[in-house]
Amino acid sequence: MDWLAGFYNYRIVIQYLPEFGYGLWATIWISAISMVLALSLGTVVAIMRMSPNPFLWRIAAGYVQAIRSTPLLVQIYVIYFALGPLPLLGRRLDELEGGILALGLNAGAFMSEIIRAGIESVEKGQIEGAQSVGMTYLQRMRYVVLPQAIARVIPPLLGQTAVLIKDSSLVSFIGVFELFGAGLFVYSERLKPNEGYLTVAACYLVIYFVMMHLANFAQRRLGGAGQ
Amino acid sequence: MIDVIWATLPFLFVGLWMTFKISIVTIFFGSILGAAIGLLRTMNVLAVNLILGAYIHTLRGTPFLIHLYIVYFILPTTGISWLQLEAFPAAVIALSMYTSTYVAEIVRAAIQAVPRGQSEAARSVGMTALQAMWYVVLPQAAKLMIPPMGGIYVIIIKGTSIVSVIGIAELVRAGEHATQRHPRELMLIYGMVALMYFAYCYPVLRLARWAEGKFGTMDTTG
Repeated sequence: MDWLAGFYNYRIVIQYLPEFGYGLWATIWISAISMVLALSLGTVVAIMRMSPNPFLWRIAAGYVQAIRSTPLLVQIYVIYFALGPLPLLGRRLDELEGGILALGLNAGAFMSEIIRAGIESVEKGQIEGAQSVGMTYLQRMRYVVLPQAIARVIPPLLGQTAVLIKDSSLVSFIGVFELFGAGLFVYSERLKPNEGYLTVAACYLVIYFVMMHLANFAQRRLGGAGQ
Repeated sequence: MIDVIWATLPFLFVGLWMTFKISIVTIFFGSILGAAIGLLRTMNVLAVNLILGAYIHTLRGTPFLIHLYIVYFILPTTGISWLQLEAFPAAVIALSMYTSTYVAEIVRAAIQAVPRGQSEAARSVGMTALQAMWYVVLPQAAKLMIPPMGGIYVIIIKGTSIVSVIGIAELVRAGEHATQRHPRELMLIYGMVALMYFAYCYPVLRLARWAEGKFGTMDTTG
């Protein structure tokens, strides 16, 4: 037991519980804002990507390719260090805004692909059927295409959100205090990597399992209705 | 501006070379480890499935950053001498383990995509289970594995950017050093770094897309 106490001293974890709690909460709300940003962006980009207008779909495709072909860490650095000082708002982007913006832009590209695949997965016969009973474009979208598409995209979007939550750990490198930052903090104050990083790892694992069960639940509930 | 580009480019290429080395070594070890895990999972032995399932979910459920820190900072605290790793092997081990979870899913999905009748027919002409796997199922499954491996290679390249934090002088690190010399040219330098990653990853993604047309796709979500 001596070895274990030396390896992982739970008293240190209890002592730093407020920091871990604060970090966990920060990770949750940073991910939530980024997800809302990514979902809105992803929807717009998916619609642009399916547009017959070559100008629109080329911009959307270029954005998706650029995000998919560069690491998130570089995207965070470009937005925070390079674009941040530009006088866009009349002031500098702070690390929180830069981090959330980068996370949203990154996840938005992946979510747009999921949303596009969902809309395109609705069979042509469904749309033709809706047309033949005299529905307008908006009615077809509202009553036929979107209900089926949404049911199909929610499980993979929840999976992408789980990736987003893990990815949010990278914003700790531009100085945002979130869950991983709490681990870094414990390490830097007590020089104890295990109590810091293993505790943080356990927290991420719990979040992941909650997300996975949510995705499975959505799959079961919506899978039947969507088919 | 041109002189900054000219002065920085050689350092960035040194970083890109390190990124290339790590990604090549990682896809080699990650594929071997992942193929072994994927094959073991198709055998449907309960205990093996539980252990490998736990391995995959633990790695999938935590950020890669944590894996890296565990391998580099926490393994040495166990006091076992061969777990005191240098930065490069630590990075390759963490990245290979992370990669193996993706490879395992692809190998398993590809094997399951080969119709059962193929292995049943092989068994009925007297092949052992191992022979049926090696001579009949795997050659067909291998074709299906090629396109998604392009995506995996891009995941690895992007993952190597994170190992800069344990001090490996790869592309992001080279960019950081360059910004210390030219602190007013952040946008230019990080833009060059991003372009270099793009120049490395984009052809791989295009190749994977081309391979999809040639070798077919499969459902890897299962």
